[in-house]
Amino acid sequence: MMNFLLSLKNSLKRLLRGRSSLVIGLYGPPNAGKTTLANKICKDWIGEEMGTVSPIAHETREVKVKEKVCIKTETGKELMFNLIDTPGIATRIDYEDFMKAGLPEAKAKKRAKEATKGVIEAIKWLDDVDTVVVVIDATQDPYSQVNVTIIGNLAARNIPVLIIGNKVDLKRASLKRVKAAFPQYAVVGISAKYGTNMNDFYEALAKVTE
Amino acid sequence: MPHQCVRCDTMYDDGSQEILKGCHCGARLFFYIKKELLQSSKEELVVNLTIEQKEELETDVLDLLGQQQPDTPVVLDLEAIRVLKPGKYELDLVHLFRGDPLIFKLADGKYIIDVPEMFSRLKKK
Repeated sequence: MMNFLLSLKNSLKRLLRGRSSLVIGLYGPPNAGKTTLANKICKDWIGEEMGTVSPIAHETREVKVKEKVCIKTETGKELMFNLIDTPGIATRIDYEDFMKAGLPEAKAKKRAKEATKGVIEAIKWLDDVDTVVVVIDATQDPYSQVNVTIIGNLAARNIPVLIIGNKVDLKRASLKRVKAAFPQYAVVGISAKYGTNMNDFYEALAKVTE
Repeated sequence: MPHQCVRCDTMYDDGSQEILKGCHCGARLFFYIKKELLQSSKEELVVNLTIEQKEELETDVLDLLGQQQPDTPVVLDLEAIRVLKPGKYELDLVHLFRGDPLIFKLADGKYIIDVPEMFSRLKKK
């Protein structure tokens, strides 16, 4: 009943904004694999990638939109949406971290400035998204200030959330830890890089947007 | 140990009723912060910057705000973003998520506020 009311509210919200298409946003900390997941979704259903990925954090520093992504799940559910890939949300951005990763000082400072702007933009875009996929690196501690703050504020805005524990292909990954941290949310473990468990992800996405 | 409400920023001590019942703002998620870490997060900003670094820092913030002409800094108490030195930023996500005015703290007593953005938000409301 609660889900139905939430979905009705979101449909009305979209109509009031003058658009009927569903908007799904990928949010999360830097280097969790948001763009890798966006690329995998786009490759699976459109045949082209969405953005570049890098081992250096904050590679995505602008919000990117892919319109009219249409997916069909194994159980026959169809979903058409606009996909938003957002810059990583962080509480600290330090050019010295980028220098350690090999960038020269001027480029590192520029990246830090753009990454800061990216966080502000990503949060502003929340006004325009209907559903959020929070991408968490399953090898990291899920109880971070960034994760808790993102998820807590999405709940406060009544935005449906699906949590993705990414990088389950790595030995250090623990989906159990992610599930224990956010027991009231649907959590799916995937490897966006290798396409592991993508069908479960699409099913869960269709369910959370119902 | 303090628990921060991730929606309204209110801090609660261990054993507070609100942690079990929910914050007065209605939120139920709290971020647990060790006392010593909370203390260090409130430490003074780095002040021993060179004049060139201070100018670079101001230019960066004005650039982030999309303003060409430097404006007179205004003194306030709340900031969403601290700029410790050029290229080093600390972001208060609670302020940003709450849609508070975009305030950059450049040094103690020195702030830059994105006033046009603030008014455009008011208009939307």
